[in-house]
Amino acid sequence: MGVFKDAEQLYQCIAGMMEICSEDQAMGGKIREAELVIRFVYSDPDSQITVDAKNPAPHGYFTVYRGENDLEPEVVMEMKADVAHRFWLGKVNLVSALTRGEMKARGPIPKIMKLLPAIKPAFAIYTRHLQNLGYQDLLA
Amino acid sequence: MSAGGYTGKLLWVDLTAGTTGVRPLDPGYIKDYLGGSGIGAKILVDLLGSEFGRVDPFSAQNPLVFMTGPLTGSGLPATGRLSACSKSPLTGIYGESSVGGSLGAALKYAGLDGIVITGAAARPSYLKINPREALLLPAENLWGLDTYQTCDLLMAEVAEERGLKAAACIGPAGENLVPFASVAVNKGHFLGRTGIGAVMGAKKLKGLVVSGRTAPPSADEAAVSLLKKSITAGMKENIVLQSLHVYGTNSALDLALFSGDVPIRNWALGEWNEGIAKINGPSFDAVLTGRKTCFACPVVCKREVEVTEGPFRTGRGPGPEYETVASFGTMCLIDSVEALCKLNETCNRLGMDTITAGATAAFLLEAAENGLLPDTPPGFSFGNAPAVLEMVKEAAYRRGGGSLLAAGSREAARRVGPAAKAFLTTVKGLEAPMHDPRAGHGMGLAYATGYRGACHMSDLTMGIEQGSSLFPGLELPDCYEGQSSLGKAAMVAAAQDLGSILGGAAIFCLLGVTGYSEADIVGALQAVTGEDHTLESLLEQGRRIWYLKRVLNNLCGVSREDDQLPPRLLQPLDTGGAAGSVPDMELMLSEYYVLRDLSPRGLPGVETLRKLGLGFAVPWLYPD
Repeated sequence: MGVFKDAEQLYQCIAGMMEICSEDQAMGGKIREAELVIRFVYSDPDSQITVDAKNPAPHGYFTVYRGENDLEPEVVMEMKADVAHRFWLGKVNLVSALTRGEMKARGPIPKIMKLLPAIKPAFAIYTRHLQNLGYQDLLA
Repeated sequence: MSAGGYTGKLLWVDLTAGTTGVRPLDPGYIKDYLGGSGIGAKILVDLLGSEFGRVDPFSAQNPLVFMTGPLTGSGLPATGRLSACSKSPLTGIYGESSVGGSLGAALKYAGLDGIVITGAAARPSYLKINPREALLLPAENLWGLDTYQTCDLLMAEVAEERGLKAAACIGPAGENLVPFASVAVNKGHFLGRTGIGAVMGAKKLKGLVVSGRTAPPSADEAAVSLLKKSITAGMKENIVLQSLHVYGTNSALDLALFSGDVPIRNWALGEWNEGIAKINGPSFDAVLTGRKTCFACPVVCKREVEVTEGPFRTGRGPGPEYETVASFGTMCLIDSVEALCKLNETCNRLGMDTITAGATAAFLLEAAENGLLPDTPPGFSFGNAPAVLEMVKEAAYRRGGGSLLAAGSREAARRVGPAAKAFLTTVKGLEAPMHDPRAGHGMGLAYATGYRGACHMSDLTMGIEQGSSLFPGLELPDCYEGQSSLGKAAMVAAAQDLGSILGGAAIFCLLGVTGYSEADIVGALQAVTGEDHTLESLLEQGRRIWYLKRVLNNLCGVSREDDQLPPRLLQPLDTGGAAGSVPDMELMLSEYYVLRDLSPRGLPGVETLRKLGLGFAVPWLYPD
């Protein structure tokens, strides 16, 4: 079994972190500027999260959807849930993961590249979020 | 001679006598050293023997070899390269540099595998080469001109010729023997590192212009064509190469944010996020005017830029690569796209390596900050682009405040005094490129033991350690943790052996080669040459080449004392992706010395030399 026991726990951790980011002015603002719809498709557990930076949430700079929906994403990132977890902990070599196919990216490269500097602060937010949820075991 | 891949001819130029002549390429060179800087280094050995250690890089006795590889001109992606080899005036050891563009392919189209230049001309000269003749012509009218002006005039010389054409030349820095002077190829590509341009300047060789019309034959044209199609298709799916296409090599700056790979403030700072955000790949879109590529390469990673107004106005020309953006940008804390374009254009036109120029500027900025340079102007401080630009301009003419920068950082530190050594970032006299060994410990070992000093292009360590290059045939672990020194000695030794072939001899672009699988690489060499290459045979050639260059460096006095990183690169950072991480050099070097069969003095073992066919060097290294 992977790091997350089920999709619900994954949503709580990763989608929850993204929702916190959506309210962060510096980070959320930069992601909003990209005006992208990005879908993260995970396996083990099968799940997906869609970030809609075209239509902001009432209290955020973008909207985070848990599970399947009808939005048409411009960027799709596919990976195992464990890879996603390690990525947000800052423990995944992005180049290596993309080269080895551990992460697959489809969509406009320029727009994906522009997001990289914006998401860096999310690493620290993810760690704090897991701590707040009491998931110390996931930080090991 | 192979069925394809080589013309079998070398142009020999004796500048002292003013003569040129074509001689056959020794088939033994191809068998043992494949091409490029492998053959180039062997020619240096054959010309100088053990005297290589004593020859003055600026003397007429120092040969200069330009060599193509077997794939150059084949039309396969990422293979249109050429190497230049000589004794380096910057480091005082073996020096080499390689370049893309179309010079290598044009040489092949002119019927030549390479050029061996000996002696020194009495007056400024240039070479005009076509399939019919090679002329040594006076260049007094070109002397003093910058590289862009000179390239234009040289290309005008062959305006009437049909086919593939290319020009290469030095600028004022090369003429004035700045030891890190570069050679410009068609105004957009550079033999940058180790001062090949200064060697040309000492020989009073301003440049060369080549034209040719006949593509070199491949042994199996159909197989080459199939490979070209499949590799090109694969490259379009490769996200690393797609990033290169979109943002050029400067896309590395965004990725480095995560790994801590980019050095900041002369390697003393771990983060500069607000500055990097202003000079990363997308930031240069504001000045982007077009894209260019090297011969037959579908990646198209060269960016053309123009700054149309303000104090840093430039002409339309090649944009700064990642190494330049980091050398002057993150290293000197210059966060202006326009200023970086101007610094890039200035170094290009004057003919100076941007890595050594930027790294030396950063070194001097820190020395000045610490009160070690009382004569520098008051404004000479980190982030002051106009002051750095002024110093760079003066360096090419070795005048004023630029005379210290013109020396390169090792010599500048010697002149400034012992306290300045703490700010040095050189290995064997070559300034480290913009990849931090604290983020990738293997890079630390590769820098320490690299045959031209601290270098990221003479081996494949960076790609393997960072994960962008996959070579399962090397039988290395699937992936590496960058900030660990465990297992890195074996990785670096293998990466050097393969890099000596792929980056030095074959000669691939080490970025573009990420679009090749191992089978593609072997298949390309087989299809072009008709020879029965295997990964094992290539690794053996690469190992031979690496030891040959080590021998040349041993002759120059290189020992284990020189296989070290400077203290600055071993100083832990407080913040950033590599915070707290320091390579364990003692561990890696101990393992590496055993794997490489190097003596405590850093000399290759006798049996190893003999096994690789380098027994001729035994009496040179072990005279007793």
